[in-house]
Amino acid sequence: MSKVREKVLFAFLGIPTAICLGVFFWLASVLLSGFGTIKWNLLTASVLNGGYLEMIVGSAYLLLGAAGIASPVGVLAAIYLVEYAPRGRLTRVIDQAINNLAGVPSIVIGLFGYTFFCRQLGLGISLAAGWFTLSLMMIPIVIRGTEEAVRMVPNAFKEAALALGASKWRTVRSITAPSAAPGIITSILLGIARVAGETAAILFTSCVLVTRGLPKSPFEPVMALAFNLFVKIVALGESPDKVFGIAFILFLMVISLAAAATAFRIYYRRRQPWLK
Amino acid sequence: MVKVDIRQLNVWLKGNHVLKDITLTTKENAVTAIMGPSGCGKTTLLRAINRMNEIIAGCRTTGELYINGRNIYDGETNVYELRRSVGMVFQKPNPLPKSIFENVAFGVKIHKMANGESLASIVERSLKEVALWEEVKERLNDSAFSLSGGQQQRLCIARALAVNPEIILLDEPCSALDPIATAKIEALMRKLAEKYTVIIVTHNVQQAARVSDYVAFLYLGELVEYGPTKHVFENPQSKLTERYLTGEFG
Amino acid sequence: MGFRKRGMSHFLKRLKAEPVEVILFLCASSSIIFLFLMLLFIAKEGAQAFLTFGINFIIGSVWETNLDLYGAFPLIYGSLMVVAGAVVIAVPLGVVTAIFIAEVLPFSFRDLIKSLIELLASVPSIIYGFVGLLFIAPQVARLFGISSGTVALTASIVLAIMSIPTIVGVSGEVIAAVPRDFKDAALALGATKWQTIKSVVIPTAKSGILASIMLGFGRAIGETVAVLMVAGNVALIPTPPWNYLSPVYPLTATIAMQMGEAAVGSLEYSALFGLGMILFIVTFIVNTLADAIVKRESKFRSGVK
Repeated sequence: MSKVREKVLFAFLGIPTAICLGVFFWLASVLLSGFGTIKWNLLTASVLNGGYLEMIVGSAYLLLGAAGIASPVGVLAAIYLVEYAPRGRLTRVIDQAINNLAGVPSIVIGLFGYTFFCRQLGLGISLAAGWFTLSLMMIPIVIRGTEEAVRMVPNAFKEAALALGASKWRTVRSITAPSAAPGIITSILLGIARVAGETAAILFTSCVLVTRGLPKSPFEPVMALAFNLFVKIVALGESPDKVFGIAFILFLMVISLAAAATAFRIYYRRRQPWLK
Repeated sequence: MVKVDIRQLNVWLKGNHVLKDITLTTKENAVTAIMGPSGCGKTTLLRAINRMNEIIAGCRTTGELYINGRNIYDGETNVYELRRSVGMVFQKPNPLPKSIFENVAFGVKIHKMANGESLASIVERSLKEVALWEEVKERLNDSAFSLSGGQQQRLCIARALAVNPEIILLDEPCSALDPIATAKIEALMRKLAEKYTVIIVTHNVQQAARVSDYVAFLYLGELVEYGPTKHVFENPQSKLTERYLTGEFG
Repeated sequence: MGFRKRGMSHFLKRLKAEPVEVILFLCASSSIIFLFLMLLFIAKEGAQAFLTFGINFIIGSVWETNLDLYGAFPLIYGSLMVVAGAVVIAVPLGVVTAIFIAEVLPFSFRDLIKSLIELLASVPSIIYGFVGLLFIAPQVARLFGISSGTVALTASIVLAIMSIPTIVGVSGEVIAAVPRDFKDAALALGATKWQTIKSVVIPTAKSGILASIMLGFGRAIGETVAVLMVAGNVALIPTPPWNYLSPVYPLTATIAMQMGEAAVGSLEYSALFGLGMILFIVTFIVNTLADAIVKRESKFRSGVK
């Protein structure tokens, strides 16, 4: 009897999970319903001809540049924290600062990017300013992911190298980093996915509504999917169905990046037997 | 008196055939030791007696296991009532993150067996049974983690005793303890056998010799030998048992 | 003090042995440096607003660009109102989902469902705003018979949907970290699965769950684009103040909407940075508290008490 009651109770507990999944599938179905309305040739057509090319490439430029800054900084920082940092107050403060940086609202990052990168450093509204601003959001994600990956490398591997007389940095380069590489790449992919649809941070720092062609240097402004979607709906008041194409492409891009990161992680966990 | 009667018990864990056709009966008010090298299935056999294997994903059990003449795998047994009457103590002391008092009271509350003053007296009685009362009576509200390892293990035994079990299962209860704490637990096991049926898993041959009345030797999931401890130790029937007892492997 | 000195000299000694450590250390310190720069530059740009209005910048109830009057109270109120609504919706759903996934769902489904919910966390906020505007706002308008669906309630719903993955993710981790030993102890005493969840799992994970809620709250209060698209953006305190069917103007939305028009160096520009300052400080405090809870918890777990 009590078993039956428990089953009923658990069924009730499952309702919120069902709701969450329902929301996910609903969201996916709403956006994927745009699949049919997309004219695929527009993906490679210029914005001036009603296409999406500059937006897609502009978004890609932004993401790749931000990843180019955030990956080395984040990975090296994580290696320091796991392998080198002495236990002490300074390390604790650094650790706390990473969490706090991760928690700064993206609009505040955007404000800072504007006043610091665009104005103080004189980059203006530009691709480069966008890179720096977005990299601030990626760095904590890369650090946390890399830390986890580096911690999972068995101590026995490192001790084997150290016992052979390798220096600490040598051990990191030839043993720790390669063993942790899949985890590091996953965390970079996740970092890219997390900022791929970011709007508030690039709102004042790097984007414009239309450019003639693609930017020729990092000091020119770019177009981006998220920015265009935002401005078209909020500022220009275009009806949502007109911008459905942009929303759909953006959704697809972000979801495939995130799914790729997850798939990559699962694949490599299986191939590296020392990770459970 | 036969207390636990195991017939043709087979257990598979994630597809591995861990226990093969085990048939064995244990006596009431005796200490039965299950020994064997690691990976021989002794813990699985112990956990079959209170059906704790079921909480592991991918576990399948066949055969019959009678306690007081009732097959606990007959599909009608109330597993929660079964686990109340068959207490279990684990390899590593596992107090709950609660106070000393609440740890002992936990099972009593779960089964709504007592509250208020009668609950307090059950806690006191159980702690006295494991000779822990004098050591902790002044600080019943302290965290259970403030106790030493040996005290924690005795607390876990008291927690099992509080719900009036008939059988106590102990899974290598001393492997995480120092020699003095071990000696206390071993003395306690002998005392518990006056009131309860005690079944202990151990990989320590000397311990089996010291505390048990009957001993079962398991090897690769099969029961190799079973009998009164004295007989098995002095005159093992199987070559394998003899080699194990003399420390040739294990 | 002695502790710190030892730490420093230890560091310097290591520095000599391996110079590459300087580079690594600088990378690790970048977070501190940028947090500090952020505080400095946003405070610098926002100073004028605080100096002009004093405490009225925070408690003043008129935010009117045309009059050059900036009292942020209606905006702060709007933010809190939307977030409170979101918390009421998201916390029960999120926490129960986390418990269900970790403790009830069969093993084989766990990873799949966890990955799906993780995927939900990476959907950009502008997409949530877009869907909210397109589908949720009209439903809210129809359901309550109001002319426009871009109101506080809609913003709360959208924000709740966005916060759930954070809450599920973090509290899921905390629940998964409850030691097997504890659960075995309860089950071996004959506790049912539900009794084990209720009297062992939840009490053990309690403060971690609280931290996950705070983290979700911190995220939610800083959320900009999605909220902006569905909140209606009127800088007035609703009448009555608990009326979730009136439009509000959250802090974040105000910054995003007005930055484009504010002339650099103007009072409006400074006021927007002032709002940024408020957000920065609030989220900083919330995150630090959440962290402190998690740290204290892990200390207790390791038996230090």
